[in-house]
Amino acid sequence: MAEQVLTASGQACLQALLKVWFDFDLALSKAPIVKRLEQNRLSQQDYLKLLLNLRQQVIEGSRWITRCASSFNRDYADVRSIVIGHAKDEHQDFLLLESDYAACGGELSVIQSASKNIGSEALHGFLMYRASQENPIDLIGAMWIIEGLGNKMASKWTQLVEEQLDLPQTATQFMRYHGDNDEQHIAELYKLIDRVATDELSIKAIVRTAKVVARLYILQLEEVDSDN
Amino acid sequence: MSVYINSSGHFLPGPAIGNDEIEAVLGLVNGKKSRLKHKILQSNGIKTRHYAIDKQQQTQISNSEMAAHAGRRCLDSSYLAANQVEMLSVATSQGDLVLPGFGSMVQAELDLSAVELHTSHGICSSSMMALKAAFTNIKAQESANALVITSELASRLFKHTRYEQVSGNEVDFNAEFLRWMLSDGAGALLLENQPRKTGKSLRIDWIKSFSHADVYPVCMSVGMPKASEQSWQDFATYSEAEQAGALLLRQDVRLLDNIVSVGVNGFLKLQQQGLFNVPEIDHVLCHFSSAYFKSKIVDMLDVAGVQIPEHKWYTNLYERGNTGCASIFIMLDEFLATHALTVGQTLFCMVPESGRFNCAYMHLTVVE
Repeated sequence: MAEQVLTASGQACLQALLKVWFDFDLALSKAPIVKRLEQNRLSQQDYLKLLLNLRQQVIEGSRWITRCASSFNRDYADVRSIVIGHAKDEHQDFLLLESDYAACGGELSVIQSASKNIGSEALHGFLMYRASQENPIDLIGAMWIIEGLGNKMASKWTQLVEEQLDLPQTATQFMRYHGDNDEQHIAELYKLIDRVATDELSIKAIVRTAKVVARLYILQLEEVDSDN
Repeated sequence: MSVYINSSGHFLPGPAIGNDEIEAVLGLVNGKKSRLKHKILQSNGIKTRHYAIDKQQQTQISNSEMAAHAGRRCLDSSYLAANQVEMLSVATSQGDLVLPGFGSMVQAELDLSAVELHTSHGICSSSMMALKAAFTNIKAQESANALVITSELASRLFKHTRYEQVSGNEVDFNAEFLRWMLSDGAGALLLENQPRKTGKSLRIDWIKSFSHADVYPVCMSVGMPKASEQSWQDFATYSEAEQAGALLLRQDVRLLDNIVSVGVNGFLKLQQQGLFNVPEIDHVLCHFSSAYFKSKIVDMLDVAGVQIPEHKWYTNLYERGNTGCASIFIMLDEFLATHALTVGQTLFCMVPESGRFNCAYMHLTVVE
């Protein structure tokens, strides 16, 4: 973590975000699918379900990030550039999910035609709504949660999946690759925090959005086990 | 009603044992030197520790005797006579007997009459549970004082003969890990509802803890074998449980890293609740199990923008060893004996426990 926030206000924001992350991290371990993964009870069927459900949100993910970029006006042109870069890095991540799904024995047509689960609907709806506001700096909070999760997938989940299931290396590309990228994205996030978390009102908005996204992300993972 | 720590004491059994002598005390498992020892000692940074067993693995002093020694030393440097003690609150992770409670055994050893008794059961953080029970008892004006004692005799679990009972002579990493981490000792604190007559006291401002057993699996345990959750009580005989490795002290090292975020999470939560201000902390006493975890905690606090300068951190882990629940008291006692404190200074204590992830915190202020 070489890149760190420098301003006092940015630091206050980062500290609050870290707290949201810790609470999210704890709540995450209680979602049934994550519990099975972390307690060595994951089945291949579970992993397929997880990939199928994540894909529906990830494929929409590039939409809210690109819309978020386009909602920044001239005063935030520098922020817009960073967000565009971010969107470009990730807009085809869903292909990795599809390829993992196939490597794991799943039918491509199934993952490609499945609909979003209830949690993904809510998460996507909220993100698109926020991204449509002018200068949606609060979405830094959303990126914080989603990038942090990518990091956790790469550093912990990939290994857990590989240990529990007899799968080819090509079946965990999304979790591994996505995480590699996120290290750099988190460094960029620190820069963004410094740039936009300049007063209490902005910090409050960023933290609020991080909390909502955290809650909806958990809902999405909880819904992996439901038939809705 | 304020509560004050007015005296402290500790007891460490036998001579200090250096890293080269550990195996001479605990014994060679199947006559062979450990291949893990060096690596684990390097990571925890501990140089010397004490054991209540001798080189023939014979217990020289029981857990309750060690506790009583620490309690007596604490009372000896206080203004309170033993017969005035109103409450005895103790903690250990494993008493000499499974039943009755450890507190009863320590009370008998100390020959204290008609005290209100409390025993807290757990691992490292059970010390803070015992302390909190005493603190709240005095705060509620149920007692005017309380003697709090924490004591551990872990070395009995590490005798080579215990490992040799396991079928196939297989000692896995998780079962061996703590053999190079834990050792024996006891600590005691005297709490009263008024400050000490002369000299300094530590006012207990608050004690808080957050447990996360609902989230994480068991990380440190005695009572279940490797790769199974069968309780040692559910084997047909105790010898079958032992052969299955269910009586070994285990640490699931892969889960251990979680202690860092759990510890920092609670820290930030209390800070956001306004219970303390980081720049106003003068001394930090944290029971971390190894140098490795201290640096991780410092790094994560750093990311959170919380910088506590190195000179504010105090520990005697490297010289006195990791004595489980006794550590924080032994640390506090030696800290008080070696530091000239001034009125108004503050101490922040922290005990993160990896058993099933409980983390306790305490804030103290020096008063006169």
